[in-house]
Amino acid sequence: METRHLPTDFEQWWTAFRHQFKFYLHTSRFLALLLLVLIATGAVIGVTIWRGGGIGSGVAYVSGFLGLFGLFGILIGAFMGGDALAIDFGGGTGYFTLVLPVRRSVLLLGRYVAAFVASAVLIGVFYGGVVLGSLYHYHTPSTIVPGVPLVESLLLALLYACGILSVAFFFSSFFRSPSVSIVATVLILIFGLNVADAIVGSLGYTPYYSINYAENVLVSVLGAPRSPLSTSPTISVETGALIFLAYFVIFLAASLVFYHFKESKG
Amino acid sequence: MSEIRVENLSKAYASGRLALTSASFKYEGSGAIGYLGPNGAGKTTTLKLLTGLLRPSAGASYLNGVNVIQDRKHALEDVGCVIESPEPYPSQTVEEAIEMVSDFRGGPYRSLAHDIADLNVKLELPPLKSKTGRLSKGQRQRVVIAASLIRDPRVLILDEPTSGLDPKERILIRNLLNDLKKDHLILMSSHLMQEVTDICDQVIFINQGQILLRDTVENVATRFQARAVDVEFATPIVLDRIRAIGPLVQDAVVIGERRYRLTFDGSNSSRAEILTGLVKLGPVLSYQSASLVLEDAYLALMGGEPAPVAGAPAPGLHLPPPPA
Repeated sequence: METRHLPTDFEQWWTAFRHQFKFYLHTSRFLALLLLVLIATGAVIGVTIWRGGGIGSGVAYVSGFLGLFGLFGILIGAFMGGDALAIDFGGGTGYFTLVLPVRRSVLLLGRYVAAFVASAVLIGVFYGGVVLGSLYHYHTPSTIVPGVPLVESLLLALLYACGILSVAFFFSSFFRSPSVSIVATVLILIFGLNVADAIVGSLGYTPYYSINYAENVLVSVLGAPRSPLSTSPTISVETGALIFLAYFVIFLAASLVFYHFKESKG
Repeated sequence: MSEIRVENLSKAYASGRLALTSASFKYEGSGAIGYLGPNGAGKTTTLKLLTGLLRPSAGASYLNGVNVIQDRKHALEDVGCVIESPEPYPSQTVEEAIEMVSDFRGGPYRSLAHDIADLNVKLELPPLKSKTGRLSKGQRQRVVIAASLIRDPRVLILDEPTSGLDPKERILIRNLLNDLKKDHLILMSSHLMQEVTDICDQVIFINQGQILLRDTVENVATRFQARAVDVEFATPIVLDRIRAIGPLVQDAVVIGERRYRLTFDGSNSSRAEILTGLVKLGPVLSYQSASLVLEDAYLALMGGEPAPVAGAPAPGLHLPPPPA
């Protein structure tokens, strides 16, 4: 008879990752978000094709395309991470998983990486749309429009996704209801932060605390000439990346602490 | 050796309500322990504290010798749990849900299919490819019980395991637990006296967060010795003739065509004398304690009726003395 051994933390992390990723693939939210990204990128490509000319330089085209990304990034992060932990306290799922011999930190990190990979797939599709549109308009054999640092922008977008996911996981560890957690993430990131940024901006300060402010780096990195009417700030790659990193680390650490100590009272 | 140990365990909520007050017990080896009490008594709180779902305000709990709060992973290593109403991810199939638990517990992967097939036979699981979110409550309960048993953990902590099951499913679980308790240590809470009587060797009674009694089912039966006997005659007997046996019979009621329930003071001497009187009335086919011993004990301890014995202290606070 073979003996049983308790898996290592890494083996259990892999188990948590696999099952969470399957959960994303099996649920309609992943398909819905994928559809949303496909429709949005398809619409942008379709409209620019319909207009025919006048789309400007390659960098201007890509910049305009990526202007949409901030909202998608928040929606993707909120729906992938918003209920990842709250599901254990808002229903019966926690009574199934939290009584297993696995550290909660391991569960959280497995789910986080699964959420990140699922988000990265959607972000990849979005950037794929950018590349497809560029290929159509600029006939370049390269996957990157010459002179446009799209790969850098993509890497920053992935770091942005890490920050958004950490915020979503934080709210998910805080609230008991998965739906409340998702809604809170969306409301705070879309409305709360933007209002705060506007107030701080009107006082003449730069909102360095804001991930929405830092998100402008995805376009800034392209180096597109600024329109005189543009209200979006220019932000250095270092500053943007640092803010993303701070959100990623601080909110992930906070969610680890909350999740570790949270009780199943329901 | 399998062990469930609770030492001065207390839980107070932020509201100040004490859900559990200094509970202590220890069980080792194998067998089944019934954890009985009314709603809100502290049963589920105890089980949640035992499995790390809640953090104690004071005291500690140990599973197989490992402190649950200090090292939850290793404390739960060899423990299967069904607490409250567990639900696998609704998008998971029955097979995936059980596999996930197995993966976290560890074990030889090549025997997994065999283990699941074995549980499928024992628990009559729904089709393994069906989504758990589409199962009935009873089917889902059987799936979570199967998941708790995968990889054969030595200790089982079950919170009303037959809740939501139909009578056939209850019998299935009861038989399974009776089989498992031979070489597993099972702690199960229940509202069903018959279930506890049928499965458990020991019982713990709890009310208002305090453990009122811990003993073997046999000792509880003796302590709360049945104050009722059921008698079956070969032919119907007029009830007044039974009541006329003498003052030892406090009351008699008809419970079947030829069956009657008699209440008395609970002593063995009265019991014997009543039988002598009954035999004079006609052929007696059976004469036995009314099978409500645990229920009597439960009602007495929780402050319900009937009182355990005449002249006993206030119910719910003190134990009645064993009968002479």
